[in-house]
Amino acid sequence: MQGLIDLADKYFNFPIMREVFPFLLKGALWTIIFSASSEIIGIIFGLTTAVIRVTKIKVLSQIAVIYVDLFRGTPLLMQIIFVYYALPYVGINLPAPIAGIVALSINSGAYVSEIFRAGIESIDKGQLEAARSLGMSYMQALRYVIIPQTMKRVLPPLTNEFVALIKDSSLLSVIAISELMRTAKELMTWKMNPSSLTAAAILYLLITIPLTRLVSYLENKMKRSEI
Amino acid sequence: MVSSKKEMIRIVDLHKKFGHLHVLKGVNLVVKKGDVLVIIGPSGSGKSTLLRSVNLLEKPTSGHIYLDGEEITGKNVNENNTRQRIGMVFQNFNLFPNMTVLGNVTIALTKVLKMKRKDAEKTGINLLTKVGLKDKINGFPNQLSGGQKQRVAIARALAMNPEAILFDEVTSALDPELVKEVLDVMKDLAKSGMTMLVVTHEMGFAKEVGTHVIFMDEGLILEEGLATDIFDNPQHPRTKAFLAAVLS
Repeated sequence: MQGLIDLADKYFNFPIMREVFPFLLKGALWTIIFSASSEIIGIIFGLTTAVIRVTKIKVLSQIAVIYVDLFRGTPLLMQIIFVYYALPYVGINLPAPIAGIVALSINSGAYVSEIFRAGIESIDKGQLEAARSLGMSYMQALRYVIIPQTMKRVLPPLTNEFVALIKDSSLLSVIAISELMRTAKELMTWKMNPSSLTAAAILYLLITIPLTRLVSYLENKMKRSEI
Repeated sequence: MVSSKKEMIRIVDLHKKFGHLHVLKGVNLVVKKGDVLVIIGPSGSGKSTLLRSVNLLEKPTSGHIYLDGEEITGKNVNENNTRQRIGMVFQNFNLFPNMTVLGNVTIALTKVLKMKRKDAEKTGINLLTKVGLKDKINGFPNQLSGGQKQRVAIARALAMNPEAILFDEVTSALDPELVKEVLDVMKDLAKSGMTMLVVTHEMGFAKEVGTHVIFMDEGLILEEGLATDIFDNPQHPRTKAFLAAVLS
């Protein structure tokens, strides 16, 4: 019983949570900004990489495979540290926010590329055959027939990946970016109380839950129409 | 009967292997302009593979294919260009769901032939009217019946003004009452002089519209000739057996 009272005082301290809320909101805003911009860039990288892999262009597609393996196979935390701390040695000095977006984008791109690749390969082969039998090149078939059909299919997995990115953006806290996680940690120290963490968790939920609901909605909508 | 029609397609010693599976074992064939060649035979005989080799959807393992005198299986031949000259209609329609019916017909005209949109749409509307679907031009494929989809597919192939059209069991996936509307379009097409290669089980159509027939079994042409000869008087025992089974 005393344990529960202590838990409530330490981690669910509502007066403190109310007090730190405006600061956390600012952190959340930065989380959203970093995540959204990285996701957009990641989608551009990812789609490009997927097309390269699918068209099997000689050297480029091998590079694409290495890129995807490398950035899906190593911890994002390592990637962030490398981009921020290692690149300056070869003359690339990125301010922390830029380094953060670069690392998140490249990482996201690797995952997004697999999502698009799976989407492209899930389109019925007959679509490609019909397009090619009209004289379209593979690229034209991709551009006018295959990828437009892929777009609807990839929305659920892309949204899931976006949710993962939002949570992963908390790792930017290690390079001194004042997104939600770092803000929460600083407030914890200031207030000598971990309830800021709880409040931050609630804010993360407020961001991610609508997105996961969106995924369910999209999946149901697609099940009903025949895409 | 010596035909003075020009040679449209010539296939010389065509072999096709899928891994170890030897599907086409040396096919030789000549199709003249205006011929309606019907390809019949049991499942697995290589009929579809042969058809799909003509527009290079399947690349030959060995052998040569000539279109209007030019070798399309040559080293430096651009297969995309070849495919502009040969149309294909599929068993599963393969209409593009992300475009309207008119869009399906005009997409290749605008993107491959670089036609202006207005001209492409004019051509498209003409063809869709010809196949009886003028009122559906702004609809989407998923709103059409199977027979309508296939007619759109035929219009789509015709839009490119091909020298020949390949039909791969185009009525096999249709409900019986929808088959006639498609066969009627194909009949008109044949009358207009289009060179057609048709893989089909529709023997009535084959007899009525086909000019020549080849019977395939296990990767080879066992018998070929005029449609009337093959249907009325098959020579090869396996042709006889197949026709007896199918026409009963």
